[in-house]
Amino acid sequence: MWDEVGQTLKLSMTKMLSQLASLLPGIVALMTALFVAALVAWALSTMLRRSLAGFQFDRRVAQWGFPALAEWAPSSSPTLLVTRAIGWTIVFVGFLVGISAFDGALPSQFVRQLFAYLPDVMTAIVVLVAGSVAARFLARSVLIGAVNMNLQYARLLSVGVKWLVTVLAVTIAIERLRIGGGIIRLAFGILFGGIVLALALAVGLGSKELVSRSLEREASKTSGSHLKEPVGHL
Amino acid sequence: MELDAIPQPELEQIEQMGGADLVIGIVDLERRVEGGTAVAMTREALAELSQPLRAMVVCNNGTHGPGTAAPEADVDKPSLTVSSCGLPLPGPAETQQQTISNAYRRVFAVGHKLGVRACGVIATPPEAVTRKWVYQLVQPVVDLGFDLVAPCYTRQKMEGLLNRSMLSPLHRALYGERLENPMGPDFGLSGRLLQRILAQDSTRQRGGERSALASLASAAACGGFQVCESHLGVRTHSPVDWENLSSLLVDILGATFLEMEGRAAYWQNIRGSKALPKFGLPEPAVPDTGTVDVNRMIETFQLGTQNLQDVWGLILPPTTSLELRRLARLPRDQFCLPDQVWARIVYDFALGHRLRTINRDHLLRSMTPLYLGWIASYTMEMQAAGPAEVALRIERLSKAYEDNKSYLLSRWRWPDRFNP
Repeated sequence: MWDEVGQTLKLSMTKMLSQLASLLPGIVALMTALFVAALVAWALSTMLRRSLAGFQFDRRVAQWGFPALAEWAPSSSPTLLVTRAIGWTIVFVGFLVGISAFDGALPSQFVRQLFAYLPDVMTAIVVLVAGSVAARFLARSVLIGAVNMNLQYARLLSVGVKWLVTVLAVTIAIERLRIGGGIIRLAFGILFGGIVLALALAVGLGSKELVSRSLEREASKTSGSHLKEPVGHL
Repeated sequence: MELDAIPQPELEQIEQMGGADLVIGIVDLERRVEGGTAVAMTREALAELSQPLRAMVVCNNGTHGPGTAAPEADVDKPSLTVSSCGLPLPGPAETQQQTISNAYRRVFAVGHKLGVRACGVIATPPEAVTRKWVYQLVQPVVDLGFDLVAPCYTRQKMEGLLNRSMLSPLHRALYGERLENPMGPDFGLSGRLLQRILAQDSTRQRGGERSALASLASAAACGGFQVCESHLGVRTHSPVDWENLSSLLVDILGATFLEMEGRAAYWQNIRGSKALPKFGLPEPAVPDTGTVDVNRMIETFQLGTQNLQDVWGLILPPTTSLELRRLARLPRDQFCLPDQVWARIVYDFALGHRLRTINRDHLLRSMTPLYLGWIASYTMEMQAAGPAEVALRIERLSKAYEDNKSYLLSRWRWPDRFNP
């Protein structure tokens, strides 16, 4: 009986060791993939960091209207943020490549799903970046225009427009990532409606000043008391 | 070449004419001038010149009547011939400045085709224009050999503020020539200068983007051409559209800054300035009759300092930003924008435009509250001033531009290193 027990144990040990041995190539492949990815990530990050430094990326980011990006970034440097993000993405891709080297249905399926999801992630990132750029551009346009029209609610209008576009971009991105479903649409509707209402109020209150000024001008013209403004620019 | 925009009948007429001594362009923004009137005015003006000339009058009123198209010989001076042709109307999306600039290019193209030796363009509203204007613009070119005749207008103290506050002092500091109206819009120029401008336009890759009006005076200064001024008289202007003031700044300053960028190699070597010969007698100015709402201008300036610091902070150095904040806190009766600060603000915006620090349209529009601040300061200072005091005041401002040119040079050459 002890012989049989010993035999069984030996068999199970052999089976387990052979299974472990079958995993070894996968582990080695994963390590290699990770090592190569890390090497590529380091080389690419270094090159990119040098190019961006030469391009004065940090200063330009602030000029393009993204001073907040510096606050998020390590050492307050958008260059570091971008290079590290790209470096870690390469390492992550290397990890996925390594995982897929394991001979198993589950890891392969996981990696396949992850790769299938990547285009959506990329689209969402593009939408977010484009939305952010558009939001800042429009907010600045509205702010300058409103100040030039002497509207006291200039800042409110500008912030409203910025959030309107940002909320729209974030919602599109989340929808693209298939997160949340109906709740996101509902939340978007409420938020969008709220911002539009706030903007309408701000425009209404601002227009009141404009209309009253215009009426004052018309009234003084018709009453004859108005003296022509003798101003000319050219 | 803008000849493509000229209709076929007019082109044939120009070709039939073969050549001419002079081309006169009448830029009629409100389409009120008839070809016949312009021809008659030109004929009267040319009759006063020392030599008989063959002239072509080009009107941009879109009309082309057979009566005005035929060459007409003058009864008194049989060798004096004046023909006319109409140019197409401006496009609906064109701004006033674009229309004037395009009309200038077309008149230049016609002049080039005819091989003229002088050219005059009048873009002032037609009510004030007389034969004297044509004569004053053309005579120094034809009889005295000048290459560019810039206009001098009789103005009230609150007229021509963009010229007084920025265009004229900037031109003086950059190119060393004291011109009252470097952007005209009425000019007389020689065939030589005309050829130079057309040649520059064709060699520039993006020539179409540059304003013909903004490049005249600077091209003459940089090319070593003979420049003078002529007193034309009172210039009527359309009522001020305060709501679209920022669009005007975009048009005018955008063109000026672009020109400044293109000619940086020349103006960096210029120091000081010289007065230019002036022809004609200045008409006495009509006394000022209106009132100006300074409060609203100061309000816009204060609103700008409250809300546009993020934008201005990218263009102006910290010292100027601090000065603006201090100004915004002052009581209204003490509101005064110092000349040095104003000159540096204009220089900083020119540099921001060159470096594309922010979108150029945003940059120029954000200057509106500052310009209104300058107008308010000038208005309060000049409330009881006469013409002589106004002239002195503008001279002081122009000197400030000249004195601060070294600041511009430092910032222009080392925008990152020199940031006071």
